[in-house]
Amino acid sequence: MATVEIKELHKSFGDVEILHGISFTIPDGAFVALVGPSGCGKSTILRLIAGLEEITSGEIHIGDNIINDVEPKNRNIAMVFQNYALYPHLTVAQNMGFSLKLLKKSKAEIERAVQHTAEILGVNKLLHRLPKQLSGGQRQRVAMGRAIVRKPQVFLFDEPLSNLDAKLRVQMRAELKALHRRLATTTVYVTHDQIEAMTMADIVVVMRDGNVEQVGRPLELYDKPVNQFVAGFIGSPAMGFLPATTKVGSSEMVLSDGQVLSKPTCAALDGGYIIGLRPEHIQLGGNGASFKATIEASEQTGSETLLLARLADQEITILLRERFDTPIGDVHTFVIDPTAVQVFDSKTGARLET
Amino acid sequence: MSATDRARRTNFLLDVTLFVICILLLTPLILLIANGFKTPQEMLVWPPTLFPKDPTLENFHKVFTETPLLRWMLNSFLFAILSTVAIVATSALAGYIIGKFPFRTINIIFILFLATAIIPFEVYMIPLYFQVKALGLLNSVGGLLVGYLVMSFGIFLIRQNVIASIPDELLEAARIDGAGELWIFWYVVLPLLRGPLAALAVLAFFQAWTAFAWPIIVMTRKKSFTIEVGLANFQSAYTVDLSLLSAASAAVMVPSVLAFVLLRRNFVEGIAASGMKE
Repeated sequence: MATVEIKELHKSFGDVEILHGISFTIPDGAFVALVGPSGCGKSTILRLIAGLEEITSGEIHIGDNIINDVEPKNRNIAMVFQNYALYPHLTVAQNMGFSLKLLKKSKAEIERAVQHTAEILGVNKLLHRLPKQLSGGQRQRVAMGRAIVRKPQVFLFDEPLSNLDAKLRVQMRAELKALHRRLATTTVYVTHDQIEAMTMADIVVVMRDGNVEQVGRPLELYDKPVNQFVAGFIGSPAMGFLPATTKVGSSEMVLSDGQVLSKPTCAALDGGYIIGLRPEHIQLGGNGASFKATIEASEQTGSETLLLARLADQEITILLRERFDTPIGDVHTFVIDPTAVQVFDSKTGARLET
Repeated sequence: MSATDRARRTNFLLDVTLFVICILLLTPLILLIANGFKTPQEMLVWPPTLFPKDPTLENFHKVFTETPLLRWMLNSFLFAILSTVAIVATSALAGYIIGKFPFRTINIIFILFLATAIIPFEVYMIPLYFQVKALGLLNSVGGLLVGYLVMSFGIFLIRQNVIASIPDELLEAARIDGAGELWIFWYVVLPLLRGPLAALAVLAFFQAWTAFAWPIIVMTRKKSFTIEVGLANFQSAYTVDLSLLSAASAAVMVPSVLAFVLLRRNFVEGIAASGMKE
């Protein structure tokens, strides 16, 4: 186990800079998720930690060592790939024992380690099969087994669940989390799925265009996003955004269609802003700032109702924890707790504490 | 007519057509083998008989005792095996490196490799001959092998297979697992290329086995002839005795047919299935 520290990491492919000076620290034993839209550079960071790409500038530390120029095999890391990368011509047992064989461990030792790991992952009945004889979930487990068996300092996961169907993904999510609790090995997990990041990670690193937008605990990102991008990226269904104006001393945010949302804490603000409304903070009744919106679509899942509504010429999502049957096109009054309304700078996108 | 009836009729017509084509393709072969067993008199009968009336082994006996046919076959075999080993080895290495380490210079080299395929052998046959002569390699397997050690199509075939069926992640996983590059090539890449390499081996073997122009100018002593050259030589010396030539040809076919039967599965698989394998 080890701390992973990334300092001012730059990476260019030819003239194109992919990472623009990334810095963050992964504490010993933590489960860190790198999340962001595709092309944000999250997989590149993982490949740089693994040593599969060369660092343009900056430093990566694992434990007390700078590993910039260390060969992948000497970094004491293990990686699980999106397509599992199991050796097709080797059995499950051979796949899992591959790295130990390269470390010149004895046959008995390899067998013991493979058996032990296979039991943890529940694949001990499959040891003599070839990868093509396994289902997606089983392959995933074997790929993890191959990583675990050598007891690395750091686990690297590159979107390991994205090839599984939705149900299996949820199950593997829980299993992976349980595995991490058991092994307590420092883990870096790359995903584009913010739900995976939120549910599994101790710390989430949100990235965009080769920059880190925010590093924090999952709920911290949810409640206190640093900017509009993080606010929109974290949370599903996503936060709705509306332009609004206010004057110094006023406790009202005026929407573009003239509707007024009362927000007593905004007295210091002046000018145009973007306000953000989380779908589940909007309710049908109760106290708070009220507004009228036109229903454009409605999805009933039984336990909750998801409404797509038009407010001040923007689309917002409303998540009600109750059944609500409404014809499309109807106008309804909704209420939101003013403290739950988030305000962002309309130019920089930064969230303002109000 | 119902759909199943129509399907049955189509199938029947297809079967008949294929059967006729098969017969047309097989007839010369059967005739050749049959001729080997015929007496000189029966050879000249018109229309030719498909099965000898009075089969004789005399032709085969003559061929094996009066000419160094076995020696020629051995020469060809040695030449074909060495050429196959060399081509498989060079194609596997070069194809893998060109497929997975795409530096710009390597791509240029690959294009040069491919370009050699469009230059007909006849163009450089004579200069090559003088080089081999200068090296003192005439009438030796070494001289024969010059020009049969590397096959540009082989490199191309392996490169395509490497790109299509060996994902980068597999090599990266092996690197992280602690494998060196040679180890990866030997224990990960080669086993995965078994199919295409076997197909290439068959191609290379037959290319050398059936080679004619190069062996005939490099091998001038009768004892060092390859089988193709030997057969040709046969023809001029024994023009009249068609049955002898037929017997020799039939005997020569045995190893190549045997090899094809044994390797047929690899041959078809390697050429047809270069798609994605999980």
